[in-house]
Amino acid sequence: MATNAGTTGQLRRRERTWGVVFVTPIAFQVLLFTLIPVLIAIVAGFTNWNSIRGTHDFIGFANFAEFLGDKYFWIAAGNTVYMLIPIPFYLFFGILFALGSHRGTPGSTMFRVLFLLPYVSSIVALVVLWKWIFNYQYGLVNQTLALFGIQGPDWLGDPAWIKTTIVLMIIWKMVGITSIYILAALKNIPGVYYEAARLDGASPVRAFFHITLPLLTPSIFFLTIVGIIGSLQTFVEVQLFTDDGGRNYSAATITYYIWQKAFGAGDLGLASAAAFFFALLILGATLVQFRLSRRWVYEGD
Amino acid sequence: MATNRTAARRTGTAIAFTLMFLGGLTMLLPFVWMVSTSLKEPSLVFQSPPQWIPDPVEWSNYVKVWDVAPLASGLKNSLIVTVLVVVVGTFSSTMAAFAFAKLDFPHKRAIFVALLATIMIPVVVLIIPQFLLFLKAGWIDTLLPLIAPGLLGNVTMIFFLRQYMLGLATELLEAAKVDGAGFFRIYWSIFMPLCRPAIAANVVIVFMATWNDYLGPLIFTNSPENSTVQLVIASMSAYYAEQTDYPIMMAASVIAVVPVIVLFTIAQRYFVDSFSFSGIKG
Repeated sequence: MATNAGTTGQLRRRERTWGVVFVTPIAFQVLLFTLIPVLIAIVAGFTNWNSIRGTHDFIGFANFAEFLGDKYFWIAAGNTVYMLIPIPFYLFFGILFALGSHRGTPGSTMFRVLFLLPYVSSIVALVVLWKWIFNYQYGLVNQTLALFGIQGPDWLGDPAWIKTTIVLMIIWKMVGITSIYILAALKNIPGVYYEAARLDGASPVRAFFHITLPLLTPSIFFLTIVGIIGSLQTFVEVQLFTDDGGRNYSAATITYYIWQKAFGAGDLGLASAAAFFFALLILGATLVQFRLSRRWVYEGD
Repeated sequence: MATNRTAARRTGTAIAFTLMFLGGLTMLLPFVWMVSTSLKEPSLVFQSPPQWIPDPVEWSNYVKVWDVAPLASGLKNSLIVTVLVVVVGTFSSTMAAFAFAKLDFPHKRAIFVALLATIMIPVVVLIIPQFLLFLKAGWIDTLLPLIAPGLLGNVTMIFFLRQYMLGLATELLEAAKVDGAGFFRIYWSIFMPLCRPAIAANVVIVFMATWNDYLGPLIFTNSPENSTVQLVIASMSAYYAEQTDYPIMMAASVIAVVPVIVLFTIAQRYFVDSFSFSGIKG
């Protein structure tokens, strides 16, 4: 009995040791490349740190006053909110495609591969391709429109159109992966629910709105949260589609604004302050989402 | 009644197929255009109406492209970064996932929640201080900033694999412990094989994310010989767009997307099943 307790204790100690050993790499990564940087960013936000001028003094909240008073920051903020537009569209098309796949439409596996092509391709290649397809004069889109006598817009150069072009590309890229998550959720819905609904004489449309859709809400919520956090950080598309944020700063987002301040103007203090402020906004938006989710997300029995 | 139902079902399938076909076409056609342009003579890309099938087929673009940009060294750098991050990182991530799912150690929950919380931190907050740290370490304009963090694991992968492992029976672990198997052996010989489908899906995702990464190379490297393939193509497109040599740009883009598309097509069957987690367990 005594030896038995001894080995159990020894086993438990070994388990603890191995547990700590196994999580050490990722703990180091988060400490070195996330937590320490966050601390540096917070402190830097209160300095006039500039890599070109070489200044490095505490200046209190002056950085916050500076970017909040900058007209370009607010243009960027507006454009950042605009980048939320793709989310309902790719959710809608993603759900539609998942439903089609789930009912065993012929060719589903092949279509699934096609739908994921844009998602797995690099954003650089996609933007290079879109710049060509949406070229004002010679692009495939405007040339095809011309066949029908329609003069297509200047998708990339016109400040009124560049954001739309980026939004279209993000929808195109995200439909496939959205449908994969929804399809996984559809497969988890027990078939007996539909069986029972059918016996009660419910139409397929009724079954969709009373069984399928409510049971999909947790997945839709997850995709919405991840989508909002991602969309608010749109940067690479803007950097690749435009040379300088677009004519009249028409496509620049907050992340673009911060990147330009830090790596263009060397204004590391100001950029850190804006980044910290932006992180709090994203956190706020996420918390609001969680609060609102109680009204529409199905939480199980 | 029954025939009505069958007829309705058939109509439904026809509508679903048509919609999915149109959707699939929307996804595919830009890529077809990319390949088509890459096989054209530069002067023929401006033809109206658009020609889908190049005539003559100009394979020489795929020869020329290697000389006009450091594409070969870009591919080599991308391969070095991606292989190291995928192989070593998968090892680190699966070990952590195993520990979080199946082992008991102090502050396990708190550490896990802290890891997850870091996903929420916007990248833009981290890149400035990371740049400064890498500058201090003398790592700027080397591949190290792109490799080192990834070797230690990937929080998203740990999250998904932990979910997957939670679904595996704990009896396996208890039985192995009674038999006197070491914890590393339990992880390596029992849980790794059981998680193969989930690991495959996550490996593809990490491969894609690393191979396709543009932000990291953009911030942390600058000389052409240390560029990854994405950076090579981005700077090439800035130059060749002015020259309106679209075939050469499309050829380079095709070369950059082929590795991930091939890998993904092979592994795609693992995707749906591995994402079938329901909510957040545990």
